[in-house]
Amino acid sequence: MSRKTYAMAIRDVLASEMKRDEKVYVMGEDVQKLGGIFGCTRGLADEFGDDRCFNTPISEQLMIGAGLGSACSGMRPVVELMYMDFTFVAMDQILNQVAKTRYVFGGKARIPLVIRGQQGIGRGNAATHSQSVESIFMHFPGIKVACPATGEDAAGLLRTAIRDDNPVMFFEHKGLYATKFEVPDDPDFCIPFGKARIAKAGTDVTIVANLLYVHRALEAAAILEKEGISAEVIDPRTLVPFDYDAVEESVKKTGRLVVVHEAHKTAGWGREVAAEISERCFRYLDAAPITLGTKACPLPFALNLEEAAVPSVADIVAAAKATLYK
Amino acid sequence: MAVKVIMPKQGLQMTEGTITGWLVEEGGSCTEGTPLFEMETDKLTITMDAPATGTLLKIIHGVDAVVPITHTIAIIGEPGEDIAALLAEAEAQNPAAASTASAAPAAPAAAPAAPAAQAAPAKEQEGKKFATPRAKMRAEEKSVNVMDVPASGPDNLVIERDVLAYEPAPAVKATPLAKKIAEIENVDLSEVKGTGSHGKIVKNDILSAVAARIAAAQTVKAKEDGAPAGRTKRVVPMTKMRKIIAERMVASLQTEAQLQHVVRCDMTNAAALREVYKKKNKKISYNDIVLYATSRALMDFPMMNASITDEGIEMHDYVNLGMAVAIDTGLVVPNIKDADMMRIDEIGVVAKELADKAKNNTLGLAEMSGGTFTVSNLGMFGLDQFTAIINPPESGILAVGAITKTPVVVNDQIVIRPMMSVTLSYDHRIVDGAPAAEFLRRVKEYIEEPTLML
Amino acid sequence: MDRERALWIYTTMNKIRAFEEKSYKFFEENKLRGSVHLYTGEEACAATVCSTLTDDDYITSTHRGHGHCIAKGAELDKALAELMGRATGYCKGRSGSMHIADFSKGNLGANAIVGGGIPIATGAGLSIKMLKKTNVCVCFFGDGASNEGTFHESINFAAIHKLPVIFVCENNGFGISVPLEQSTAVEDIADRAVGYGIPGVIADGYDVLDLDEKFLAAKERALKGEGPTLLEVKTYRYRGHWTGDPETYRDRAVTEEWKAKDAIVRFGNYMVENGLATQEEIDKIQADVNEEMDKAAEFALNSPLPDPAHLMDDVFFEG
Repeated sequence: MSRKTYAMAIRDVLASEMKRDEKVYVMGEDVQKLGGIFGCTRGLADEFGDDRCFNTPISEQLMIGAGLGSACSGMRPVVELMYMDFTFVAMDQILNQVAKTRYVFGGKARIPLVIRGQQGIGRGNAATHSQSVESIFMHFPGIKVACPATGEDAAGLLRTAIRDDNPVMFFEHKGLYATKFEVPDDPDFCIPFGKARIAKAGTDVTIVANLLYVHRALEAAAILEKEGISAEVIDPRTLVPFDYDAVEESVKKTGRLVVVHEAHKTAGWGREVAAEISERCFRYLDAAPITLGTKACPLPFALNLEEAAVPSVADIVAAAKATLYK
Repeated sequence: MAVKVIMPKQGLQMTEGTITGWLVEEGGSCTEGTPLFEMETDKLTITMDAPATGTLLKIIHGVDAVVPITHTIAIIGEPGEDIAALLAEAEAQNPAAASTASAAPAAPAAAPAAPAAQAAPAKEQEGKKFATPRAKMRAEEKSVNVMDVPASGPDNLVIERDVLAYEPAPAVKATPLAKKIAEIENVDLSEVKGTGSHGKIVKNDILSAVAARIAAAQTVKAKEDGAPAGRTKRVVPMTKMRKIIAERMVASLQTEAQLQHVVRCDMTNAAALREVYKKKNKKISYNDIVLYATSRALMDFPMMNASITDEGIEMHDYVNLGMAVAIDTGLVVPNIKDADMMRIDEIGVVAKELADKAKNNTLGLAEMSGGTFTVSNLGMFGLDQFTAIINPPESGILAVGAITKTPVVVNDQIVIRPMMSVTLSYDHRIVDGAPAAEFLRRVKEYIEEPTLML
Repeated sequence: MDRERALWIYTTMNKIRAFEEKSYKFFEENKLRGSVHLYTGEEACAATVCSTLTDDDYITSTHRGHGHCIAKGAELDKALAELMGRATGYCKGRSGSMHIADFSKGNLGANAIVGGGIPIATGAGLSIKMLKKTNVCVCFFGDGASNEGTFHESINFAAIHKLPVIFVCENNGFGISVPLEQSTAVEDIADRAVGYGIPGVIADGYDVLDLDEKFLAAKERALKGEGPTLLEVKTYRYRGHWTGDPETYRDRAVTEEWKAKDAIVRFGNYMVENGLATQEEIDKIQADVNEEMDKAAEFALNSPLPDPAHLMDDVFFEG
């Protein structure tokens, strides 16, 4: 185990996989000399050459489409989007091309493509650079969606993503990059997709959260614990595939579900989980599942407004208590 | 805006309450926060305040009505206000359960409590109770009806922890008599431990429960104020029967001009009469002789067998002879119908039958209504002499004391004779002193010389 | 041009024509459904370009993709079966006309999104370069797609990295009903190549020899690592944009003018005149193609529909 930041955990896995497999390469905006604006590709061009880690023009459609074409023709590209908000610029390539290529062409294509980048609040990037957009990619079939909340998960999930012959959208959180975690050194350390992590065990209420909100949910759980409420915090780790079984098992135990994320609440993935769990184990529910997410407004710039838009730790505590009628 | 007065839920287990008194008459005015009516539940007797200020436009459920909780019992509003909608709403509320007891005279034991069958619909009438899926699941696991579980969630929602905390009442087995007494005394059968076979609840269990309740209430209601140091006063809640007795007795004294005459009867010949019957293997009691003598004397003095009504004095050409019977929970007064047409041994049979029924709480309403005169015998308690309060609307009551061997002067000789005092309370509004005395003398003559009755 | 390649091109053009006409007939007979965009009149381009490609060379195609698919090696029977949504189709009945491709032949897919395939072709070019292969990727797209952002983004990138991609713009003069002059400020799309620092070349889409010459030059440049070429092929579709297009936007007389110089007839005549084939051989090719097409139709008609049990297969690669 090594203690390193979330960003370094990502960088090290990229390096380790590029070393292991010559077909793995990285392209993106400012990834080459700069090493990415968050440092996730720092040193890769030096170590592996400018043809294994190179800058692209600010052409997101090209980046995604070329990644797809390249993945279909023998390479294993990792495309870094500077902000996952920019997926919108390339949405046709992601949803019409990447997601559908294997299926519509009769299952003949293998698409070992990773599209990774960061998202979320915390740096005053305002409306178009602070969004959490992962829910959209859960809606359309054909792409796997990973959301690591810790350095260990970032490493294990990214390695799995790179070695997967399916396209993977890999959502990192800008607010986690500088946080240090214990990360396994094993060059084959992989975390399987579709396997949730119980971040904290509990018996009274199940809180499902991803990315930054795993940490906020844990904060809330600590507060609840002091009030005698035992919350179980579950990090699904991947939205596609989603470990509904883990949440179902937990909810059967606790009878109460809160899903919290930074993605917008409206039609967010939390609602999907709440609905699925309601369908699966309705009779186990002692309260309607509560979903918390960013309010239905674009993310504003001012720090206080930004915090007002997203769920707070207090919101999570209140929601958990509400499911307990407390 | 008219306001509904509802039967309020007082305590978790309460499903219905009995209205024991309205403190404001229909059409009277009431003030929010001041007493409006009295009610009784199986647990407590309580005075409820008016929920609004205005005119008590309508009393929907009168005294003695047993009403499910939340049902409308009255409407307060402004005079002339249209309350048709509220009345219709109240009408729709399980009218079957909203019975009003007829205030039958001397019929406390017949107060029609809501039968158990009505309690269930009343519970469903709450209707607005919901349960979470998980609460339902837990209820299924515990084999309890989730709707029986007190709800702690919002909007009467039963949630998981309610079910987990709920201790269901075990299926209650009780004799019909025990059930009936329990009903009258508002004893929750689920709280009574049965001592019959297989734990069946029998009469004595209910009576014990009543006694225990009184004792418990005494403990609970113990007061310190004004009592000597280290001692307590206590307030015992009145049972429904006790309240009715109290009301009727006070009413009797307040409405009738009661006074007493006393005579002492020599029971020598009465004893001889008993022996005659005994030889024929028929058993008659002294009291049967008193009853028989009274019934015959009443036919001689019809004014003693009359009642005052609004129209005038109601004369009866029959004698329905009441007999006060003490029972464990109070007092009942069944009457022997057409006693004047019965032989003495027939009277004896009927009197015994009624006394047994009284003790078993199986008297019917008819057996306790329609009396024309009453005999109360406390001789078995060794009382030489006592007075009784008239059971309205009757005009008289005989209080019969114990038979004691007494030295009396007969033919200027002091002899020992079995003597019995008979005290007549009579209503001076109907009967004056002389005729009352004559009546009493006639009773005495009949008792002392039964052959005169032939 | 050698005789063998000439015969292949001629045969392929005829196959495409027969396939498109059969498709049209089947559509009219309600034997197939969906959006069916016919390549009739444009056959020379796909046939000539693909005549020198191997299975290791890539193409990306368009919504008007039957011709590219057949030219890149697809069999008529499985291709028609796909158009008819049959289990035996190249894509198991999932793609229909607009997404038809035989992935195993280096066809990275017809693409129903205008301009959608251009970045993908660029990515294939990137792979070829990174894997140091001596192959090319041909990116077919239409005049309409040249106004999509992907056109700009992709050619720019391919030019920067000197990728072995030949961007073949099939300019048939209309984006559905919109004539080129209403959508595009320049007369020749090839002129746009200047903006990317690469050659922009125009070829006559009705002249196999001109097409062949221009394409081979572009291919040679790509293989030498000199980068991409924008090859604009002036062509025309005989049919409407789709089956059932009332064609109110264009003059039938113009269509007749193009038909008068039909590339298949023209190249057939050229082959006979230049001793590449006899008239009998030309006739036999047509007869053989018709026979193959009839068999293909029979195959497709007799093919089973896809089993709904396999509906969810292949969304992801499992393994």
